[in-house]
Amino acid sequence: MLANKDNKTAIKLIVNSISHTLEVAGNTRLLDLVRNELRQTGTKEGCSVGECGACTVILDGKPVCSCLVLAAQCDGKEVTTIEGVADDPLAQQLQQSFIVEGGVQCGFCTPGVLMSSWALLGDNPTPSDSDILDALEGNLCRCTGYQPILNSIKAVIKENLQSLNSA
Amino acid sequence: MSSFNHLGKRINRVDGLGKVTGKAIYGDDILIPGMLYGVCRYADIPAGKVLSIDTQVAEQVLGVVKIARFNDVPGNPYAGVIIRDYPPIIDNLVRFEGDVLAVIVAETYEAACLAADKIQIEYDVFKPICSVEDALKPGARLIQPGSDSNIVASHHTEKGDVDLAFAACAQQIERTFNIGFQEHGYIEPESITAYIDPSSSNLVLSGSIQNPHRVRGFVASYLALPESDVDVRRSVLGGSFGGKDDTIDHLSCRAALMAQLTGRPVKFTYTREQSICESSKRHPYNMTYKVGFDDSGRIQAMKIDILVESGAYAACTPFVTWRSVVQAAGPYDIENVRVDIKGVYTNNTYTAAMRGFGSPQVVYANESLMDEIAEICHISAIKVRKINVLKQDSLSITGQKFDKHKVSAVEVLERAVEESDYQAKLEKYSRLNAGTDHVKYGIGLALSYRGCSMGAEGVDTSSALVVLNSDASVNISTGVCENGQGLQTTMTIIAAEVFGIAIGEVKFTEPPTSLISDGGPTVASRATVTGGAAVKDGAETLKARIFEVVASELKVETLDQTLWRDGIISNRDLPELQISFKEAVNKAKWAGINLAAYGWFAQPEISWDEEKGTGSPYFTWVYGCQIAEVKVDTSTGKLELLHVTAVHDVGQVINKTGFEGQVAGGIAQGFGLGVLEDYNIEFGELKTKNLDSYLLPTIKDIPAIKIIAIENGDEACPFGAKSIGEPASELAAAAINNAACFALKKRIRQLPLTLEQLVLGYNLKKPARQSELLQDDGHKKHTHRLTDMHLVNPSDLTETLQLLSEGGYRPFAGGTDLLVQGRLHYSDDKFVNILGIDGLNEIVETESEVRIGSAVCFNRILAHSSVIGHFPLLSQACQTIGSNQIRNRATIGGNIINAAPCADSVPPLLVYEAEVELQSATSSRRIPLSQFITGSYRTDIKVGELLTQVCIPKQNLGNVSHKYSQLGRRNALNISRLSISCLMGFDSEGKVDLCRVVDGSLFSHSQRLSAIEDLLIGSRLTSEVIGKAENQLLDMIDTAIGGRWSAKYKQPVFINMFKDLMNDIVVENSQEQRDAC
Repeated sequence: MLANKDNKTAIKLIVNSISHTLEVAGNTRLLDLVRNELRQTGTKEGCSVGECGACTVILDGKPVCSCLVLAAQCDGKEVTTIEGVADDPLAQQLQQSFIVEGGVQCGFCTPGVLMSSWALLGDNPTPSDSDILDALEGNLCRCTGYQPILNSIKAVIKENLQSLNSA
Repeated sequence: MSSFNHLGKRINRVDGLGKVTGKAIYGDDILIPGMLYGVCRYADIPAGKVLSIDTQVAEQVLGVVKIARFNDVPGNPYAGVIIRDYPPIIDNLVRFEGDVLAVIVAETYEAACLAADKIQIEYDVFKPICSVEDALKPGARLIQPGSDSNIVASHHTEKGDVDLAFAACAQQIERTFNIGFQEHGYIEPESITAYIDPSSSNLVLSGSIQNPHRVRGFVASYLALPESDVDVRRSVLGGSFGGKDDTIDHLSCRAALMAQLTGRPVKFTYTREQSICESSKRHPYNMTYKVGFDDSGRIQAMKIDILVESGAYAACTPFVTWRSVVQAAGPYDIENVRVDIKGVYTNNTYTAAMRGFGSPQVVYANESLMDEIAEICHISAIKVRKINVLKQDSLSITGQKFDKHKVSAVEVLERAVEESDYQAKLEKYSRLNAGTDHVKYGIGLALSYRGCSMGAEGVDTSSALVVLNSDASVNISTGVCENGQGLQTTMTIIAAEVFGIAIGEVKFTEPPTSLISDGGPTVASRATVTGGAAVKDGAETLKARIFEVVASELKVETLDQTLWRDGIISNRDLPELQISFKEAVNKAKWAGINLAAYGWFAQPEISWDEEKGTGSPYFTWVYGCQIAEVKVDTSTGKLELLHVTAVHDVGQVINKTGFEGQVAGGIAQGFGLGVLEDYNIEFGELKTKNLDSYLLPTIKDIPAIKIIAIENGDEACPFGAKSIGEPASELAAAAINNAACFALKKRIRQLPLTLEQLVLGYNLKKPARQSELLQDDGHKKHTHRLTDMHLVNPSDLTETLQLLSEGGYRPFAGGTDLLVQGRLHYSDDKFVNILGIDGLNEIVETESEVRIGSAVCFNRILAHSSVIGHFPLLSQACQTIGSNQIRNRATIGGNIINAAPCADSVPPLLVYEAEVELQSATSSRRIPLSQFITGSYRTDIKVGELLTQVCIPKQNLGNVSHKYSQLGRRNALNISRLSISCLMGFDSEGKVDLCRVVDGSLFSHSQRLSAIEDLLIGSRLTSEVIGKAENQLLDMIDTAIGGRWSAKYKQPVFINMFKDLMNDIVVENSQEQRDAC
């Protein structure tokens, strides 16, 4: 599919279970698409160079930095942002755990941290400590010192293990 | 059972739900119809006089609405919390690189950015003054021409007679310590929106504001408006740590000006680069401590001289230096002390408030000194502190008698020692370090005291509104603010505690400045102490009024006779006499009682005599002790934090979850200050402009932390609760440094403890990232952003190759390099998206080789069974690339084509003798990777060609060692500093019969170290042979990169890494032989 004369590319993609047909400019990032075009501002911009992870979204099942994905590359893709997991039981379990365990302070990194955590636990409900660290290494947090974030995720894993055992 | 309803328990954050669901509105989430977008035009140089500013071309950019300059400011054009020396839009003098010369607003963000790039400025360039020493030289140019000298502020404290005392000391040492700038590193860059409220005509400001009343004051003054016409309504704040204070004052002034000039809403949101470049930093300190003591370790005299870099503006320097001067000698009882401190202007980034506020620096120096005294006197680090520590009723260095609060320095020290198992760990690490291993272990402690709140810096009052509704629910607001630290939850708990009702009955609402009086800034770890006291005051006022209404019914005469708990008010002695809180409130309402109260806090008496340097500067103090355990690889200088024990006397914990969060976060920031965060500004030009070069700690860098609260309640504070935000952050760097010095058996007197600092004893200055320099062709963008990208999505490989052959197109895969580079410079690149194209997207194993499509991302490669089975080094190396998110995008083809010397996938591919397949519309070829990469960022790719496959021959090598060693500055998100990939096999006699060694990040491009391989093959790996190889390496590195800035570090360290790797192989091999026997 070629870009048209306005330097825009027609794409079809699914964002948070809703199908969109859009024309996007060549310099529109996936981050700009969700924040500006779709006005879903839960995804945050922190550094624009893929270091901080505040813009983490799930693209075809994998966490990516939406600041480093061009919208024009997302034709036929499925994107999930923090808004898209509002009714998801695992996401709600994680969100509640972050509130209880102190995994959220200023909250700016939190949507990205949660998307990374949600993708991890979605693939594997009982990851090891090193799996958690691998999954979260690309999400910088300046407030919590990370330990409360780890506690939040581990509390959910513990619940998962308990329900697995009781089943 | 605790006597409290809620205090000290784990309470859920009341503002958590909006944050975890992504619904909370932060500065950049604000959208107002008709809004304009603002961009600042920054200086091109760090020092000079502006000769002319030409905005003509910029004004022609379609969509530009207004460009404002200094002369457009209707009010006082200077801001500054203590000295008004900061023009938010500068006059004609550039004082640092973050100065703003003009402000543009336009219909679109892109138009504003483009206009900023088109503003032409001519300067009379000055040689920047980049050090305190240069600024203090006689005749040095004045950074602020209005001042008498480059000294911003100076303070002193004095006790006893230092000179006399030194003459009588058995031991004297003098040490100088240095510590650099620190960036706040909040994850949310600054954002401010300003608009005129159409109904009230008020000028409204919203966004990432730490201190709304200060913003109101400066904006009103800047625009010559009464403060009543300016209303500041903060959005949710994404971290501040003292950083969204001065910088936000200035940005708010600019945004407000543009809203006033245009009559339209205006939003400014900074890029990370703009944020780091303009915003204030923690002050660098140069500290000389002279200390006299007797042979037992008792300190008799201490003389401290401190030079502080204020950068281009004064900001908080007069107050930061004042706190330092009061706390510089630490929590010790010393008879004779003299402390002098000077804050000095330079042309570097200005420095201001940052969590700790002048304490992490002096705690670091002083606590390092304590360890040195212990070493000299052959006593323990604990004993030296206990001998000298402040006790109850001691006189501080400023002459304050410590009799109004519990002096718990010994208590926190002893508890930390016990909780960390200090003695056993010390012995264990000493034992481990006695061996020959290159990894050493350390344990170190730091002890501090800290004056709570602002002290004699100024007026220290605070405000709160408490309103009881007819259904007995409660609304509260405070003049201090939620910055992420959990203030809303703390205030909610305090109100609920007073009334004895559930947390959920209380609702905290962020008040606009128009509805609450100035509660003082949310700084100095004062919010709980002052704002909490104001909430308590307001709630207790209402409680007393309700009491009057229900007293007779409960048959009580004084409030003390009642119990307020679980929503019930009862007679303490006759519990059956009770009334529900709801009913009591209802009665009070119908009795016509005023159910709203204004709470207030005024601090107890303090005093300060600036001339004498004495007084009682703070009404109460907190004490803390942190013990750090570290591991240092002496081969590379890599320091890893293993564990921290933190004990803090906070008076009373309000919320356990909040308390622990503050401590853990403070320690992580302390680790950054102590080890990672090397703010690099050279000749006034900032090099560490984004988070890829200014390195914040990641989740892999911060270990488990044991957090203990000591609760010696303080009568002057609400429920006895004092401070934790800053105490938590001032100790870790000092403790880590002491642990590192223990491990290395030498004292280090400069932070941060970078790799270079630990190996060389000094910090190497890094130039900007080479990938950035490469493209510096004069088309620089002032505001980094993507422009002019043009991307096409071809349907298949044929179409891709066709497009490439037509010229003008470049392949685009994961984009993790191209999009980073694309933000920096204008170019009219056209790209072909090759992700997902059949033929580029597969990993295929044949009988003889594994073929990896060029557009396969690293996470797929590292987890693929063929790769793990045949090429374990490739899997390992791919795991070290970027982060999980990056590895889901970045491709092997991109890594190879970019050809950076630090490309992590390349060394293992060279070890495994990979070949690359290149296709064009008309031809196809396959060549060894070693021939394809020809230099730093250079390959042999031809016009129209696409790298399609990486083909790695299966290695039928038998039993060989696959060894990979990689060094990064932190434990994740690294650009590799150095790596070695190695395959080695031995014959039956134990002689090397296979050897392949490849460097990473050492030479201009990774390559087989053939000379080393030749030297090793046919020999046993004896220490003599390894030594020969090391010498050979030494020569090779010297010849190839000897003159490069990094060679001083890389040469010895690469050789160390090589030696360690060889020794690992030797050990492994002998183990295998033993197993075979």
